[in-house]
Amino acid sequence: MTMTPASTEGQGRAAPAADPNPPATEPRDWARSILGNQQFLLLVALGALILYFYSKRSVFLSSGEMANILDDFCSLILLAVGETFVIVSGGIDLSVGSTASFAGVIGAFSMRGMVSHNDSEALVLVVGTIVCAAVGAGVGLVNAALINWLRLVPFVATLATLGAGAGMAIVLSHGIPIGDDTRAIIFSQAKVGPFSWPVFIVIGILVISWLYLHLSRYGRYTFALGSNEFAARAAGINVRRHLVSVYVLSGLLSGLGGMFLYLRLGSGAPTSGAGDELRAIAAVVIGGASLLGGSGRLSGTILGGLILTTVTSGLIISNVNPNWDQVAVAVLIALAAALQALRPGRRRA
Amino acid sequence: MADAPLYEAVGISKSYGHVTALFDVNFSVNPGEIVGLVGDNGAGKSTLIKILSGVHPPDRGKIRLDGVERTWKSPHDAIEAGIETLYQDSGLAPDLTIGSNVFLGREKLKPGILGRLGFLDQKAMERQAAEELKRVGIAVSGSRRTVSDLSGGQRQAVAIGRAIAWARKVIMLDEPTNHLGARQSIEVLSVMRSAKEQGLGVIFISHTLPHVLEVTDRVVVLRLGRVVRDAATSEFDAESLLGTITGLIEAS
Ligand SMILES: Nc1ncnc2c1ncn2[C@@H]1O[C@H](COP(=O)(O)OP(=O)(O)OP(=O)(O)O)[C@@H](O)[C@H]1O
Ligand SMILES: [Mg+2]
Repeated sequence: MTMTPASTEGQGRAAPAADPNPPATEPRDWARSILGNQQFLLLVALGALILYFYSKRSVFLSSGEMANILDDFCSLILLAVGETFVIVSGGIDLSVGSTASFAGVIGAFSMRGMVSHNDSEALVLVVGTIVCAAVGAGVGLVNAALINWLRLVPFVATLATLGAGAGMAIVLSHGIPIGDDTRAIIFSQAKVGPFSWPVFIVIGILVISWLYLHLSRYGRYTFALGSNEFAARAAGINVRRHLVSVYVLSGLLSGLGGMFLYLRLGSGAPTSGAGDELRAIAAVVIGGASLLGGSGRLSGTILGGLILTTVTSGLIISNVNPNWDQVAVAVLIALAAALQALRPGRRRA
Repeated sequence: MADAPLYEAVGISKSYGHVTALFDVNFSVNPGEIVGLVGDNGAGKSTLIKILSGVHPPDRGKIRLDGVERTWKSPHDAIEAGIETLYQDSGLAPDLTIGSNVFLGREKLKPGILGRLGFLDQKAMERQAAEELKRVGIAVSGSRRTVSDLSGGQRQAVAIGRAIAWARKVIMLDEPTNHLGARQSIEVLSVMRSAKEQGLGVIFISHTLPHVLEVTDRVVVLRLGRVVRDAATSEFDAESLLGTITGLIEAS
């Protein structure tokens, strides 16, 4: 640590832009303004979409419709946040949607008994939340085990748990929603200010996730892992343990997403999260994260999620055949990926 | 000969599948010594470095640091013991800033409760990284630039700077002059000399034989995974070193 240079000449000196006196605008600032621009573009796109749907049907900005969009957003964004950590770490989690369904069904089983005993609603929901989170984390652990110890690539490992989770949710529930908890629906729609209270829980989770992804050592390791796994390992980071934690986190948040679906439906429906993996991945990719890992912003994911839910609600409200929604999501993913390919300056070392 | 070498590998063998990368290799470095490790492509140099840095476990053989036998379960253990490595294949995370790379794996946390919650003191790291790189003679401006924005030579400079800045006992440089221009290569040689003056053990891998002859005290020649010569640098000239590497001159 106390080396004195034989000369003060820099080794990087002869290479361009390695001047000891940094020029006023560094490539870093330039890159950041691009990234800032991307978030700005997303914001503009979101505003344009809202205005467009509003101009078509003014009910779009009614409080009822806004609440709908927010509910939709809440269950999706939990999956997308976990997906952001996974994608930044260089992996992918295809199981988030089916984990939400599966956790929702198991959670609903555990809550059904309590509901029929007329236990206090808050207690019921706390127990349900814990069960859903635990089941989700368990699925995440299975993903991590398949990737870490069986050496499956994340795509295959999580495709397997996608199938297993979706199948088990249907088998266990015999294909019908578990529970009929209208109390939960009413309870969860209680407002605090303009929003129902679960919205605040989601906002809290988003803030904490943002802080940890971008400002903490945990987030730093996640980026390092996705950027260059060898470098992370060679720097002494326990990459296996970190990888396990990332998939467990994704599973846990998906389980919570299942709980949010329960709150909306008043039951644990075995197909409630079906297809949400695509939407979660879309939110992350639209938000600007690279599927190669090592880059991404949680704020981008949030904007991506808002754009997706806005499009979905807008299409429904405009009386478009709802099946167009899937096409719209696909188009958005393709657009985002194309924009990413155009983005300059990203070299792999 | 009472003193054990600073860092020592004894009887190391390593195979990848049925490729024998190393066979019964003995290798050592003393404090304040620069040892050159040379050999043709595929001779096993990088494999030996990765065993000494804890990336790969050896199939057979022992590693001793200060005469004490050690087993590295991961690179983390070797780093903790004061052994720093510059890898031939990039050891930097391209999406992170220079400062984040210098501190990768040993991040500074904020003081107080925020630090305990795992939050980074990024400013302090960037500042200290810039100082550290400057001190070892590496001036890549702006420690907040991401590594992917740097030229190959600049990246190499950052990686060398990081290794030098943290090494306490041994520093292993696997082709450090890769990507570097002539003048920067000379810089690297002087950085190695000052590491030697600090009493570190320096292991230098290079295909540039004039550099090896110029800077090292001792040279170990690997051929097809075996040590064919381990002798003071003064015993070699350019021709005999090349001959030993290629096998034209048989080992004595
Ligand atoms: N991860 C790996 N998997 C399989 N074989 C490997 C691996 N790493 C190295 N090898 C093999 O081991 C042998 C030694 O390789 P190594 O990288 O140690 O050579 P080297 O002396 O560093 O060569 P170079 O000068 O080209 O860097 C080679 O035959 C190589 O093909
Ligand atoms: Mg090599």
